[in-house]
Amino acid sequence: MSALTKSLILSALAFASNVGSAQQTPAPQPQAAPGLRFEKTVPTIISAPWQGQRISDGQPEIQGHWSNTIANHNNWTDPQGGVPDDRSRANRQPGPREQRAPSRVTDPADGHVPFQPWALALQQEFLAHFPNPVKPQYIEPLARCAPGGVPKSFIWHGYEIRQYPGYVLFLFDSGTRIVHLDGKPPLPENIKLWNADSRGRWEGNTLIVRVSNNNAKARFGRTGEFASENVQIEERFIFDNDGQRYNYVATFTDPTVYTQPWTATIPARRYTLKQEPDEWHFAVALANAPGREPLAERYERICVENNGGFGNVAVAPKQ
Amino acid sequence: MSTSIGRTAFTYVCALAVCSLTLTGFASAAAPKIPRLPNGKPNFSGIWQTTSAADFDLEPHSARKDAPPGAGIVEGNIIPYLPDALEQRKKNFEERATADPRTKCWTLGVPRGIYYPEPFQIFQRDRDLTVVFQFGQSVRTIHTNGTLHPVETDNEFWLGDSRGHWEGDTLVVDVTDFNNETWLDRAGNFHSEKLHVIERWKLLDANTIDYQATLEDSKVYSRPWTLSAILHRHREKHFQLIENYCFALDYDKYYPVPVNE
Repeated sequence: MSALTKSLILSALAFASNVGSAQQTPAPQPQAAPGLRFEKTVPTIISAPWQGQRISDGQPEIQGHWSNTIANHNNWTDPQGGVPDDRSRANRQPGPREQRAPSRVTDPADGHVPFQPWALALQQEFLAHFPNPVKPQYIEPLARCAPGGVPKSFIWHGYEIRQYPGYVLFLFDSGTRIVHLDGKPPLPENIKLWNADSRGRWEGNTLIVRVSNNNAKARFGRTGEFASENVQIEERFIFDNDGQRYNYVATFTDPTVYTQPWTATIPARRYTLKQEPDEWHFAVALANAPGREPLAERYERICVENNGGFGNVAVAPKQ
Repeated sequence: MSTSIGRTAFTYVCALAVCSLTLTGFASAAAPKIPRLPNGKPNFSGIWQTTSAADFDLEPHSARKDAPPGAGIVEGNIIPYLPDALEQRKKNFEERATADPRTKCWTLGVPRGIYYPEPFQIFQRDRDLTVVFQFGQSVRTIHTNGTLHPVETDNEFWLGDSRGHWEGDTLVVDVTDFNNETWLDRAGNFHSEKLHVIERWKLLDANTIDYQATLEDSKVYSRPWTLSAILHRHREKHFQLIENYCFALDYDKYYPVPVNE
């Protein structure tokens, strides 16, 4: 097994859940901002006409390798704050809130998901049990190799976007999303999916995707935020005209869980071979192409086949 | 006018006693058009599936409780196992109900994913074909940009490393660097990490692919052998893949949809 494959597996397992990692072999430090090149601010990118290259059916060409710029999935509303009360980070204080990246919730302005009281209680229950999952439902599904779902896949590892006439394809480390641009109707309502069902269209520099048929089993982060099966999500992928950045701006509407529709913003940047491949944002291999320009390739992603019970590391720490 | 020129040419060519060749030429001129990319290469984009019973057993078999009958898709009918491997195959067959990696929803591998009875979708660019399997939503990339297999040969991929090239309108794919975890069907046919697959993909018409795979594996087979399957394009209205992360079903019950109780 190659070093790359091994390291991909190791990083997937290590990042799948940090619960109990203290008992395991020394874990990589996902929150070490410098190594992971996380930023503290979110750029402004406005919807506008597209000036760049296009593929054969006229779509703006945005293919390639991308990853979010502020933090992983530890904490949905305080992205660089880590999992609250995470014992494995007890010796690392996150510092004052204003020195960290803002909440991913950009509307309402207070940065909180506008949960109904019962839903807030459920989220808090999940969060409280995250470090000590005494019941199977407190183990994050991603640690069992379930797809990250919408929107968590965008704050997991880096991912690749491929484009074709009528389609945009997202290849995540855990799961695959096919966005249909051909105007076909969504699937029947009773079909529910981890990565939901996606229907998109381009307006200038912005890919607008309506997301339905969500099975609501994935969580948004390790802090346990969620939607229900009734959620309708409108995603706007707003690409900068230089092709190096985009902002993911998604509005969640679910009257059974929230008191009002709310919006999340996740900034992302492109990775090319001008950057060093790494095991988090840009997990690629160099193609074997003697005498040619260096070319990045994505190797297959495997999870459940290599995963032990409950994600190997996602077990309750010994008291 | 053109008719008479055609007739004259036909007569002339027949006089050279190659009528049959000429008629063959006429037949191919009338052959169905196949979809092509802007670069002229055959375009395999679409959603495909076999109607064969291959995944139940690649070899000819009568009906069983767990398999419909099938004439098999192996050239010469029998997979040429080495003696020890044949014993392993028999063991696999006995334990197939639980030992088949499919039952755990693990990545099916190559070539099994192609004739497994669930649809897969091909997305094609000049540089590669991306194959997304509904089963497990696994993703295989077939590179067609002239790149070679990785220098490192012990990646032990579940789907191997696929490098394709064009021989006329046939896509020929060389697949190496497997692990020994996948099976070839539900009957326990298998391979080792030495597996080397050469696939030949050819569009017979716009909606039909002639798929062939030659398998060699010096640890398991006494000689290379070939299987073939016809793949049909899904043309149902609004047909699409519906994600099937079947491995998640085992823990589905722990994640009830949040409701206000």
